[in-house]
Amino acid sequence: MESGETVGDMLARRGFSRRGLLKFAIAMTSSLALPPSLAPVMAENLAMARRQSVIWLSFQECTGCLETLLRTENPTIAGLIFDFISLDYQEALMAASGSAAELTLRQAVAANAGKYLLAIDGSVPVKDGGVYSLTGGRANVDMLQEFAPDAAAILAIGTCAAYGGIPKAFPNPTGAVGVEDVISDQPIVNIPGCPPIPEVLSGVLVYFVSFGRLPELDDRKRPLAYFGTTIHDQCYRKPFYDQGKFAKSFDDEGARLGWCLFELGCKGPTTHNACASLKWNDGTSFPIESGHGCLGCSEPDFWDQEGGFYTSLAGGTGPSWRGAEIAAASGVALGAVAAIAARRKVPGA
Amino acid sequence: MAALGVNKFDFLGDDGLVDALLMEVADLLRTLIADGRGGSIDLLGLPLSAACLAEVEARLGDGEICARLNVSGESVVRETSIAGVWRVRHADEAGNVVALLIEVAAVPEILKASRVDMERGLRRLREVTNFSLVRPAR
Repeated sequence: MESGETVGDMLARRGFSRRGLLKFAIAMTSSLALPPSLAPVMAENLAMARRQSVIWLSFQECTGCLETLLRTENPTIAGLIFDFISLDYQEALMAASGSAAELTLRQAVAANAGKYLLAIDGSVPVKDGGVYSLTGGRANVDMLQEFAPDAAAILAIGTCAAYGGIPKAFPNPTGAVGVEDVISDQPIVNIPGCPPIPEVLSGVLVYFVSFGRLPELDDRKRPLAYFGTTIHDQCYRKPFYDQGKFAKSFDDEGARLGWCLFELGCKGPTTHNACASLKWNDGTSFPIESGHGCLGCSEPDFWDQEGGFYTSLAGGTGPSWRGAEIAAASGVALGAVAAIAARRKVPGA
Repeated sequence: MAALGVNKFDFLGDDGLVDALLMEVADLLRTLIADGRGGSIDLLGLPLSAACLAEVEARLGDGEICARLNVSGESVVRETSIAGVWRVRHADEAGNVVALLIEVAAVPEILKASRVDMERGLRRLREVTNFSLVRPAR
């Protein structure tokens, strides 16, 4: 992208029509649960925008978050997102290394002070001065405290950055915490998930570039459009839950008939995420559709849940039938209310 | 739309949902006629079953125009039997539906050529005519 060029100029130079940008905006407003009437405004704002500087720091992480975001095969989304942003620093992707990389980071921060989005993946170890995760000899926590104040906003990408994630699991030997446990005076959006859904990051980035602010967040700082309902609320197996039809093991008749996986430990009823609507691998499927219950990976402390992954939310020895009956009786009404905000991708519709 | 499968408002019945949706369409059309402002309904944002969507399509019927656009994947804009009411389906390059709308407008926004694109077209015309008879845009 040439200096001073707008996103619209750049797309036009590549032969991308405004009609294409409008279509992209229509898809994004649908994804973000915004009124369709905002699509032309979003398209115009995107066209007039300069590319958004993003500085991405990887802390105590497995690179799974970055992998999933890069592996999206949807050319429209992936291509445009990387057109809308200027990824000015990302250690795993950039060619520079060592002192050259450090110089790049400092230059990017100086050039975009007050305007860059600071993306973090991985938890922040704070025990023993943060010595358990260093970059260029510096503790992650020190880097976060240095670069956060000049950021326009911070994106905590993945459950580790949002809540500490797996590194925080008992006994948490490194004192891992989430970004918001270190930084309290900057706007933060949490995009949890292990890994997070690529389209959610796309939506947040496009919203920020379009409107200059973060989208509406819930009380855990998650974008409400994607985390406003539970997996259970949007699950295609929910009618079986409502009818009290549960698989008892992974190979029984109920499992083969696609019944609800609640008794096999599914954490869908307490997990907020968009897996059941956006799905994974470009809308192919999500864990429950593949026959396994939700692990609740986008919730805080999911690794340390009482009873583990395969214990029902109702208790350690199987479901509380009384609880299940009450839930089933009220399930339709609750699901209907929750579903108002639900959005769907419909492959092949 | 088989992938949807679940109607979370099933206690209302499909007919009730379809009626409610079509009343919203009627409101938008009334506004369009009155002051020229239309609007759109995002069908993917509604808890509609496959049967509901089929019923909506059946009741709206097909009109005179169907346009297929090749814009970062296929888009299909189909006029319904109700003039000014369009069904718009946007797919990405992998074929996934990314937006499904009912748009109430004289002409759906996606069909209109933008000024920016038209200006680029004029420059292109000047390039292919080999002479400067084509005046630049004012």
